[in-house]
Amino acid sequence: MIGVDVGGTFTDVVAVRDGQLTVTKVPSDAAQPAAAVIEGARRIGVEGSAVFNHASTMGLNAVITRRLPKVAFLTTEGHRDILDRGTLRRPLDGQTDPSWRRPFGDAARPLVPRYLRRGIVERTLADGSELRALDEAQARRQLAVLRRCAVEGVAICLLNAYVDATHERRLRELVHEELGADVAVSISSETSPLAKEYARASTTVVDVFMKLIFGRYSAQLDEELRALGFAGDLHFADCAATLLPWREALEKPFRIVFAGPAAGTISSTRLGAALGTGNLLCADVGGTSTDVSLVVDGAPFVNNTFEIEHDVVINALSTEVSSVGAGGGSIVSISPSGDIRVGPESAGADPGPACYGRGGEQPTLTDACLLMGILDPGGFAGGEMALDPELARRAFAALDTPLSFEQRVAFAYRIAVANIAEEVMNVAVRHGVDPRDFSLVAYGAAGPMLLPAALELLHVARVIVPPQPGLFSAMGLLSTDLVHYESRSAYVLLMPDAAADVEERYKEMEQALRARVDANGATIRRSLDGRLLGQSWETPFVEVGDGAITAETMPALVERFHDAYERRYGNRFPYVPVQGVTYRVELVVGADKLEYAEVAAAPDPEPAGTLELRYLDDEPLQASVYDRDALGLGATIRGPAIVREPLSTTVVMPGQTAAVGRFGEIVIEAQP
Amino acid sequence: VIRDLDDAAFAERYGCDRFTATVLANRFGYVVEHMCSRLLTAAFSPILRDFYDFAGTIAGPPASDYATPAMSNSIVLFTGTMTDSVRNTIEEYGPERLEPGDVIVANDPYRTGTHVNDMLFVRPVFHDGALLAFVNLKAHQLDMGGAVPGGFSCTKRTVYENGLVLSPRPLYRRGEPVQETWSLIFDNVRFGEILFPDMQSVCAGLQLGERLLIESAQRYGARAMLGTIDYVCDANAERIAAALAELPDGRWEGWDMADCDGVDDSEEYRVQVAITKRGERLEVDLSGTSRQARSCINATALDVKTTVGVALKYLLDPRGAFTSGLYRNVDIVLPEGTVVSAMPPDGAVFAYYEQSQVMISALLRALAGCAGPRAIAGDRGGTDIHNAFGARPDGSPWVSAAQCGGEVGPFGGTREGDGDTQMLSYQANGIGVAVEQIEADVPVVMVRHEPVPDSAGPGRHRGGASMLRDTMWLGPTEHHLMSLRAKRVAGFGVEGGRDGRAGGVWVFDPPADGLDGAPGTGPEAYAAARPLAGVVDPETNVLDPAGRYVYPFDQAGHSTPPGAILRYLNTSAGGWGDPFERDPEMVKRDVRDGYVTIAGAARDYGVVVVGDPDEDPEGLTIDLGATGRLRGQPPRR
Repeated sequence: MIGVDVGGTFTDVVAVRDGQLTVTKVPSDAAQPAAAVIEGARRIGVEGSAVFNHASTMGLNAVITRRLPKVAFLTTEGHRDILDRGTLRRPLDGQTDPSWRRPFGDAARPLVPRYLRRGIVERTLADGSELRALDEAQARRQLAVLRRCAVEGVAICLLNAYVDATHERRLRELVHEELGADVAVSISSETSPLAKEYARASTTVVDVFMKLIFGRYSAQLDEELRALGFAGDLHFADCAATLLPWREALEKPFRIVFAGPAAGTISSTRLGAALGTGNLLCADVGGTSTDVSLVVDGAPFVNNTFEIEHDVVINALSTEVSSVGAGGGSIVSISPSGDIRVGPESAGADPGPACYGRGGEQPTLTDACLLMGILDPGGFAGGEMALDPELARRAFAALDTPLSFEQRVAFAYRIAVANIAEEVMNVAVRHGVDPRDFSLVAYGAAGPMLLPAALELLHVARVIVPPQPGLFSAMGLLSTDLVHYESRSAYVLLMPDAAADVEERYKEMEQALRARVDANGATIRRSLDGRLLGQSWETPFVEVGDGAITAETMPALVERFHDAYERRYGNRFPYVPVQGVTYRVELVVGADKLEYAEVAAAPDPEPAGTLELRYLDDEPLQASVYDRDALGLGATIRGPAIVREPLSTTVVMPGQTAAVGRFGEIVIEAQP
Repeated sequence: VIRDLDDAAFAERYGCDRFTATVLANRFGYVVEHMCSRLLTAAFSPILRDFYDFAGTIAGPPASDYATPAMSNSIVLFTGTMTDSVRNTIEEYGPERLEPGDVIVANDPYRTGTHVNDMLFVRPVFHDGALLAFVNLKAHQLDMGGAVPGGFSCTKRTVYENGLVLSPRPLYRRGEPVQETWSLIFDNVRFGEILFPDMQSVCAGLQLGERLLIESAQRYGARAMLGTIDYVCDANAERIAAALAELPDGRWEGWDMADCDGVDDSEEYRVQVAITKRGERLEVDLSGTSRQARSCINATALDVKTTVGVALKYLLDPRGAFTSGLYRNVDIVLPEGTVVSAMPPDGAVFAYYEQSQVMISALLRALAGCAGPRAIAGDRGGTDIHNAFGARPDGSPWVSAAQCGGEVGPFGGTREGDGDTQMLSYQANGIGVAVEQIEADVPVVMVRHEPVPDSAGPGRHRGGASMLRDTMWLGPTEHHLMSLRAKRVAGFGVEGGRDGRAGGVWVFDPPADGLDGAPGTGPEAYAAARPLAGVVDPETNVLDPAGRYVYPFDQAGHSTPPGAILRYLNTSAGGWGDPFERDPEMVKRDVRDGYVTIAGAARDYGVVVVGDPDEDPEGLTIDLGATGRLRGQPPRR
């Protein structure tokens, strides 16, 4: 089996064959996105592989950069500006900054310019009744304008179509009649039949973009993989890093707009399961940022929406990943009050940190780690690249601050560690968990050199550095299931007399799923998003449980809602009626997964040498240096120490002990 | 300055090293965010949950003079009141009486700012037996008693009509509810079933904030915590001082007006501002401001403080959160008994936020004098909130609060670009409730909600356009308006940009053939309408600056029969810079997108666009020769 994670800079490929893990990295090519994937496939060999699991941030990047196909938006007349309005709210930064504009508004960079958003004469009411018939002649006149503008796709979202889809379906027929059978069309009542027009409309618009972006790409990928001898199944990962057969994914491709970071969370979950620990804080330290996510009792924390950028919301199940602007390339600067700041600006891959010697003059976190002795000037990125400590030194020396040179480097490292620790803490607090019961999984190429230092700030039980930390996210693609889901909205008070109505909705969705998917051996999961009557925020993912919903079982369902509410918000209001809003069925088909190979026992590690670790303390520390490949089960290392492997470096801080586990993972704890 | 302090001096002044101060400063922000999101995601009241009508802060102990290093991402209307309201509340209650687990409440506008519905909750945080800090939430309660359900009104005349006033008192003592306080509140308010869980959610948020601060104190020590509170406020004061130093010295004036109060239209209410800037200091003098209004459209001194702070942040310190250090270099001169410094019992305070909008307009006009290209054009100057009530056929009551009027409106142009058309006003923030949710909850059909062509205040960067919203009410309905800014254009232009246009409110009789017969948007449609607010031609009812002013509060509420259509048209916002210098391609884009007509492009921008924007939007071209001729001879204005 093969997993491919297409990132902005690199395409990571991991393969497992006969229990053996092989990996490769290929530079990504934004102009020809399939080329890097095919090159990776060629290098690693696809013949005989059962699955090829693909994750990509291509969709998200297209939306963020607005490199998008020309798409039109049809909605009820009088309402075409719902896409300019969004949910209206301004973020903190926008409250007192007069230069703030809604980034997707008409005054900035709309996803669909106003002239391609057309109103259609028709009207359905909230109860599904028709107030005004669809005016087909008027619709055809609007479509004639779109034909003249040569749009490639059309998104349709009519008001209250989540209750009754008749007008949307007819309008889709008209679109094909007027614009041709091959124009890409999505209608909101099929793409995401959930209440609240803005999120449904933006989901539908993104869906059409993804149909156009992924449509050609997927067919080409499938064909070229076949030409390389691949005879298995091509799967796409979605925002929760669950998998879908590629043709099915293309029916609702908004789901795959952003797949990548979630794979790291899945990978952590898998490793946690192998190690027998289900409570994990996951931190993926990359070049520009750190992505933090949470696993409780072996399950990643999943949301019912995903925000592509400020207020560009789609109704996709997505693993909650929060980001802080601290990574290896984060720039070190001085604030007006003289504090050292790290990030959020980043030197990126080009010019990159000063020590790369590609013209970067501002110091970065990577430069700090080099000066501290953590990074090896000769052995970076698998030895492919030399780092120049003199350039790093000059960059720090050039900062305009009275702080001493030692303080600049030391504070940069400590501030970055503190910023990441604060974000991890933040995620824990937001979900009401106590970090002392959790292990911190440190991955991404830069994770193992920063996160062990966060152990004392965070009071997590331990830091776990997995095998292959730089490719750990991609390994998540070999650790996940196929998940098909359907959801529907209806505002229904959860009272015994509504049981038959709610049960009927679930049955309909289950039938739709079973018609699509071979459900043999699959498990079915029902959940609902509800609210206390009077609230506008929903409490998501209330487990509905097995068995039919009846007047007798309804009170138990309502109790489960109150339990979920209390877990989330700390209060319980049993006297307030509960209203169901969104009903969801997930059909989970288990897939083969990566098995971690055990490492041989080698309890007495030999250091490969020693080095000076600078700026961690007043005096330089003598640290032992180990080669990770030579470490086996039972090896115990006392900090300060450095563990090197081709793509990463692990730091064991003074006062910490690192122990190598069954699968080669390094477990770092504070010495008692 | 802080930047030049060496390690020893920094540690001496702030009780910790720079690194710790940076970490704790971040932590304060997080703590406030967590307190607020706990409240927000649990709130029942639509005002709270949809309009972020609350604020959370951390404040230092009395010895730090309640210095406030962190404030929430909610609405800025509360910001300037928070430090003083916590101080006034605790000093009156007696800091020596506080114990762990207490929650003190107060809601008197003359003590705590804003209005009676905004209840302040203060929880002391103790560490090692000493008072370390306070965590505070001030949150809008759906009702506080008084003559009008929900309180939103311009017509209440005294404190006695306005609502229940709570002087500082305990809601919890040592973690136990104080029954007489809860009973006092629930004996006097409506919608208790909503207030009760909302107040509990507020207290849960405070408890979380307390826990997080105590954990921080255990790790970093009380001295570092207190030092960092001062550090954050000092740093903000330094940023303001440095930015003030860069502005020219001088004195500038600005003004703006509310049309009337809720008694009659015999009196307009003016806010007069003179700002004097010398070196690193600024004085804001409101002498010459009108006497307090006869009904509850007044504000208090603490609201003046808020708006001065907001204006300064806009121009001088746009990034980052509010702190009490913002005000250190600013003096405010405010006579007693004005419309923005009202006194009890007759100077009733409810629509304080409308005065805040008048004030920000006056301040931005004055600051435009010294800000040069950083000047900001006016927005629509008010909130234009609409409320409606009725009963369904089965007799059950329904309420539509701030969902179907002129709430969504434009921002002004700035140096950075055009103003957005769909925003709340400058000092408000919130969530636009989904049309589908409104229609599921209330018997109304949203007919249209769109910008009006050619309405935006022209400029090199134009203002946002007027939004026109038509709603059809399916049952008998009573409408309540709060339109105080329809008499003149609020959206002023700056730096050569032009003013926006005025707005109004009308009601149309039920069309005979339902939605198909709904009124159009052209001038001919208005003859059949009844104007409720605005300055209109007496014959055609079309907006006309020379026409008749329609006073919106003749009746407390306006009743409409089933099927009637209500129309709101906002004032549009002002432009920034000379419209004849606007990039012709941007003008063409506005024509293509329907924000500007071909005639408007020539008249307002001197750009001749050729083609048919409706049928062939991509076929539009610019006649460069004709544009050059028009722009060579801009029309006199």
